Amino acid sequence: MRNTSKSITGLFAISSLLMFGVHAIPAANAADVLTISLGASVPLTGSIAKEGLLTKEGYQFCQEKVNLLSTSTIGGKQKKLDIVFQDDTSKPDIAAQNLSKFNDKGIKLILSSYGSANVNAQAAVVELNKQTMVDSGGADNAIFNKGYTRTFNVMSPATEYASSMVKAIAEFAKPRPVTIAFLSADDGFSKTVTAGGIAAAKALGFTVIGPEYFPNAASDVSAALNKIKAAKPDVIIGSVHFVEGVALIKQSKELGITPRGFAETVAPPILDFATTLGPLAENVLGSAQWTSTAKGQDKYFGTAKNYAAEFKARFGHEATYHNAEASAACLAMVFAIEKAKSIDPDKVRAALVNLDTLSFFGKIKFDSTGQNTFKPMSVIQIQKGKILTVWPRRDAEAKFLWPYVK
Amino acid sequence: MSTLSAVKTKRNWQRSFVPSVFGVIAVAIATAVESHLPGGELRAISTIFMFIALSQAWNIIGGFTGYASFGQVVFFGMGGYFTAVVMLKWQFTFWLALPLSGLFAAAFAVIIGVPLLRLKGHYFAIATLGMAEGMREVVINLPDLTGGGAGISVPIAGKFAKTEYLGDNGFYFLFLALAIFSIIIGTIVSRNKFGYGLRAIHQNEDAAAAVGINTVRSKVIAYAISAFMTGMVGAGYVFQQVTIFPERLFDVEITVLMIMMVVIGGSGTVVGPLLGALGLQFISEYLREHFTSMHTFILGGIIILAVILIPQGAVNYLREGRRTKNYSLLANIRRYRL
Amino acid sequence: MDTFLQVTSYGLLQGGLLALVAVGFSLVWGIMNIVNLCHGAFVILGAYIAWEMQSWIGVDPFLGMFVSAAVLFCLGYVIQRYLINLIVNGPVFITLLLTFGINMILIQGMNLLFTADFRSIQTSYGSNSFELGNIRIPLVRLLAFLLAIIITFLLVAFVKRTRTGISIMATGMDRGAARLMGIRARHVYALTFGISAALAGMAGTMIASIETFDPSKAGKFTLMAFVVAVLGGLGNMYGALVGGLLMGLVQAWAGQYLSGTWVNAIAFLVLIIVLIFKPNGLVGKAFYAARVEI
Repeated sequence: MRNTSKSITGLFAISSLLMFGVHAIPAANAADVLTISLGASVPLTGSIAKEGLLTKEGYQFCQEKVNLLSTSTIGGKQKKLDIVFQDDTSKPDIAAQNLSKFNDKGIKLILSSYGSANVNAQAAVVELNKQTMVDSGGADNAIFNKGYTRTFNVMSPATEYASSMVKAIAEFAKPRPVTIAFLSADDGFSKTVTAGGIAAAKALGFTVIGPEYFPNAASDVSAALNKIKAAKPDVIIGSVHFVEGVALIKQSKELGITPRGFAETVAPPILDFATTLGPLAENVLGSAQWTSTAKGQDKYFGTAKNYAAEFKARFGHEATYHNAEASAACLAMVFAIEKAKSIDPDKVRAALVNLDTLSFFGKIKFDSTGQNTFKPMSVIQIQKGKILTVWPRRDAEAKFLWPYVK
Repeated sequence: MSTLSAVKTKRNWQRSFVPSVFGVIAVAIATAVESHLPGGELRAISTIFMFIALSQAWNIIGGFTGYASFGQVVFFGMGGYFTAVVMLKWQFTFWLALPLSGLFAAAFAVIIGVPLLRLKGHYFAIATLGMAEGMREVVINLPDLTGGGAGISVPIAGKFAKTEYLGDNGFYFLFLALAIFSIIIGTIVSRNKFGYGLRAIHQNEDAAAAVGINTVRSKVIAYAISAFMTGMVGAGYVFQQVTIFPERLFDVEITVLMIMMVVIGGSGTVVGPLLGALGLQFISEYLREHFTSMHTFILGGIIILAVILIPQGAVNYLREGRRTKNYSLLANIRRYRL
Repeated sequence: MDTFLQVTSYGLLQGGLLALVAVGFSLVWGIMNIVNLCHGAFVILGAYIAWEMQSWIGVDPFLGMFVSAAVLFCLGYVIQRYLINLIVNGPVFITLLLTFGINMILIQGMNLLFTADFRSIQTSYGSNSFELGNIRIPLVRLLAFLLAIIITFLLVAFVKRTRTGISIMATGMDRGAARLMGIRARHVYALTFGISAALAGMAGTMIASIETFDPSKAGKFTLMAFVVAVLGGLGNMYGALVGGLLMGLVQAWAGQYLSGTWVNAIAFLVLIIVLIFKPNGLVGKAFYAARVEI
């Protein structure tokens, strides 16, 4: 037995060593083409596989557009974008590990994963490995309070998710509501969102009820609803994800809670929300990083409307803001590479620090912590089953409706 | 009589000498190879070492004693959070936090072990699972202490960082050391009268009690030992990841992976979990890298095949095969099927 | 008082749903000593089948659930007969690994086949509720609760009165003796697993009508089934119902009277406390905890 287990273990050891020697051999470049490899570890399986896939589509769309339309050269060579995808199975430690593996292969320019937990882990590794990353999936301000200098977020920070809806309500809702109840999931991102929303509500003179919390991904939020039922709030704002967002609306009806309006983060802009809730979704407000009416354009995607139309033609479904933010992150990286005329991570990083441009996604510019505080979030409203932008005023494609909600 | 004891000693010497030599060689290879490997590979191999240590730890309570703990990850999480909290709030050095995390987890094991180890079989499994899930929820609900759902970060820069971040090389050696430590403990338990006591409890607890083994004490000690090792691994993991969240640190999938590695490798042996951890971790890494969209399918298929063909675990299969000179897999299936 | 009644009734309804998810799992674990880690995947698959029925043919979920049940019965039968039966005599927790592998394949399969979109079944009466005094009772949840009770009683009648049911219990008690009596154990095992899968399918249909589902939720339902089945106790067909109702009540009360986020922690605490004082679950039979098979 000893000999057998010895030989088996020895076999394993030898094959392990052999495996480590086998690395992907980069394809030989044609003489006048510079292949730029960007590393993207996204969740293709696991709990956030859906958003991970949307992120991958966004990156792919950007890659195709840039390779089709790019005219500028780097060091005399045509540039060709090649995004290397890996699956991080929705786990932060694997997301970080994949970045280390990219680093081994010399891939220093990174497009982020999805989800604040994954991006948090990746940001730490990027800092240590001296890579440079553009973030399209982790909006929590907490990621950017750690003094990291090599991660840049194209999205509006988490504190904007709820506060943008509060501002929209303050501007458009007539009669002006008095009380706003805040219900929130208890993960870090949602809590940051809620804190931002409550601060905005108080600053604008609303009375705040709550916040009441429920577990992340709970499909039963009745406990929190029962707690605010007696206060009869005028507006209920939910810092949620899809599952809790749907449950909130459904169970409010079941329990007979009828505020004048609902506003939720994350869930309403997702197409399944309106189809799942049917008539209950009518007039629900939501906030989105991007809608097809966003102002701005760039040389690769044109305007937001162009993006939406061409994306739909390419992938067969309506472009969501997950797709757009991923494309925007890739775009920011490309712009930085073009500006720096180099793929050296430090030069690209310096170019990102100074980036200030408009795009189909809106303004892309980073503040000193690396967040994009220069782009407002859009507020949407579901009207007759369609998702329409209602705020900011200059982007609005429909009137903000504030009827009495039965 | 003297011939018998002479044979016994020679076989014992063979049994301990040969694997030890092999172990030393393996460690030497691992150390030598380290400087030639790039960062990502080091991380991947560190994860393999981590799972070796975890599965060896599980083997003590689950394999030897037969009390399958479905909630083993609770010690991983408790040890990890202990390290994170003491390093962040009271500026402990990592080297102090590491053994303390192990002790903390072991103490926790003793406290919950006394009531829980009275349960048998399925009920014990689920009670430990409930404990793991429950502790995760508790951690989420104490945000002032543990950061709650927002996670907690070990300080690695600035004046709060008492220990320098180990880097990919440092963690490689740390997890290698933890793996070696776990194998040594596993071997000691296996060869020791205590270990035989555990096996007796596994096979027939009432008979073991009748023979004079203090089953409660043995079980609790085994549980504490496995918790100690698991807690230290958790501490190392937390330091490596820097920022941790409760969902990952108390993830039931880690327990399932531990159990898989032990059972596929061969439970109740020392080499079994080692092989199981190496093989499974390796294969899943490889598949994930090279089959980005299909890797779960393939891994699931491999697990199904491995379980059907070798239900008793690789090491036990090889041992029996060597003893009966019959390696037939079909015979194996025929033996275990209904 | 009103809030208390509202919360209590809600908890009972939720408990019924939990029981429905767990009853099949309890059957398989109690009778056959098989830990079925793909139970959650069966639930989600049942949800998808009912959803497809509704979106193609417009079948109401309460009819669609029979289709789900039928499809999943066949799937469960085949899996047990040709896969799990191969390892039944192996070490006890090997079934866990096998079903884990099957689970991985099922979930990824659903991801690819149905994509990871969030889905839910719409019905015209979907969010109706009616008033009982001052309490509101959601209609679909009430129907799911009644279904759980009906199924539990049907199951009990099945195993006590019908020949097939009795043979299932017999095989569970002593497989060797059952075979000596002429019971085809392989078939009976497969039948039991098929029934469990069918029940999971029905539960999935109810879940689809009440909540949103997608493949990544499977693990949650498996965990739910685990906890409720053990809380109630194995070996007793009422176990899942009792466990489910208790769990539902505990969660509802904890959510209302303590901070909302402690709900899950309390649930597990209750599980552990019950097991400490009643090591075989609330109504479980001690025999089924750990057995030696021939």
